[in-house]
Amino acid sequence: MRQLLVRLGRQLALVPIVALASYFLMASLPLTTEDDSKRQVSPELAASYRRDLGVGEPLGFLRPWQKLFRGERLGTSAQGVTGDELLLKLSGSVGVGLVALVLALLWALTFALLKNRWRRGRLALLGDVIPAMAFGTPVFIPALLLAPSVVERGSLLPELSAALVISIWPGVFLGTLLGDALETELARDYVRTAASKGLPPGVVLRRHVLPNVLPALLDAIGPVATALLAGSFAAERVFGLPYFGQLYVLAVLQKQVAVVVVATTVFASVLAVVGLAVEGVRLIVDPRAREDRT
Amino acid sequence: MRRIPVQAWVGLALLGGLGVLSLLAGRVFPEVLASTCPLGNDPTHPDRSVCELAFGGLWVSLAIGLAAGGLSTGLGLLVAAVARLTGGAVERWVMRLADAFFALPDVLVVMVLQLAGQSLVDAGAGAGLGPFGLMVVSLALVGWAGPARVFRNRLDTLEGQEFVAASRALGGSGLHLLRVHLWPALRPFVLAVFLSRLPAAILAESTVSFFGIARMEPMSLGRYLGTSYVALIYEGGTRVVIPAWMLLVLLVLGASLASQALAPRTRQA
Repeated sequence: MRQLLVRLGRQLALVPIVALASYFLMASLPLTTEDDSKRQVSPELAASYRRDLGVGEPLGFLRPWQKLFRGERLGTSAQGVTGDELLLKLSGSVGVGLVALVLALLWALTFALLKNRWRRGRLALLGDVIPAMAFGTPVFIPALLLAPSVVERGSLLPELSAALVISIWPGVFLGTLLGDALETELARDYVRTAASKGLPPGVVLRRHVLPNVLPALLDAIGPVATALLAGSFAAERVFGLPYFGQLYVLAVLQKQVAVVVVATTVFASVLAVVGLAVEGVRLIVDPRAREDRT
Repeated sequence: MRRIPVQAWVGLALLGGLGVLSLLAGRVFPEVLASTCPLGNDPTHPDRSVCELAFGGLWVSLAIGLAAGGLSTGLGLLVAAVARLTGGAVERWVMRLADAFFALPDVLVVMVLQLAGQSLVDAGAGAGLGPFGLMVVSLALVGWAGPARVFRNRLDTLEGQEFVAASRALGGSGLHLLRVHLWPALRPFVLAVFLSRLPAAILAESTVSFFGIARMEPMSLGRYLGTSYVALIYEGGTRVVIPAWMLLVLLVLGASLASQALAPRTRQA
């Protein structure tokens, strides 16, 4: 039980660490100097910076959150965001991310099966080349290649296209893990024993192999969730989706520092929630995790 | 002396070849490339050919990757060494901090650090850092956590070996152990970790530059694609995107091949 609580505590600790680190980093920026030089911020932005971050006030780091919960706008009037808008944008990004996760699992299964088949033939090299190509391809490249179809023909939904391009690397990454884990588990004695007792291959796979493969995949869900959310930044920018990733990039470009603080913390919270969900699923599917609990 | 695997040579040759090619084609003889480029001129930079911009961008991306990869590996090594030397609560908290950094995506943290760094530079407090230096420092500040965790675990394993216990029993200090016994065993591992950081740094830089957040001049591959992405969408920019993409893939492939081939050797050491 103690180990489980420590793991959960580590997941949750990320949120206050990120909230405080991002706040103090942003609050220490020399943005308040009003100057006519072209790179200085506008007087309106400098005023919103002081107001939204509560610079110089005791417990000033709570100010952005206070404003959000009151329904007030963070940042300047034209480019800022309210709590409701933030939630709406986040739900859009999470929706795209969930579709991308489903697609990534499909790619993973397909790639794992193909890799297993290629291993015995002349196409074995593809099993190594495809992951290298997927890793070496930033999300914005497939997004740029797909964008003309989306923009000109309008034949594909921008959200679906974004999910498609975001899912490529996580799918190949999970597929590589799944393929390797399957190969290792299928060579073990317990699989041979189960097969020799007359169990059909499907039952052996479902009842014996998959429970041993799933924990390895669960370990990869954290990096995959990070990759999906980070990938959404580029995909939303290229496809013009007005969701969380686009909000974040625009907030950085326009120096909306209070929005950056809040959005960074929200991002860390989403990762913490994913981490907690993974721990929950691990408790259900992995008997070793349940033994730790008792 | 053990042989270096063929895969590592292939990766290193690919990296070296791309580096030399980008230096010659993009920096030393750009006019030759401009006159022979089969892909024509760039739609959004009509005075420059696609090849000039792609190879010039490759040189900048590679230079950033090498500098940031080296700096983050050095920082990670330093943090791991200090954590192991001090031990106890300091080591625990340093590793927690590394975990927190590691949990967040590189791109997000680099964007925040670029915002902070550019604000300092604009206010005249940038310590003389230009866009290149700022990007290298940002990537190094993001990238130290992974190497620190790897080096700390490796040091932990090495310290459990008999030769280290013997040296300790003979009165060897922590610094002596680190310098005389641990560093030689760690050295080949450092190259593998550096090579694994190289593609991560290049990809993070490309994405941040693509957003237009970094003001890289001359343009890196990411900034090159980012400066004209709206035009690329409407003008069918496949001929612009594909060369830059292939160069990025080859760069990452070279670093990954070399890193993967060197890592198992060091585990056996």
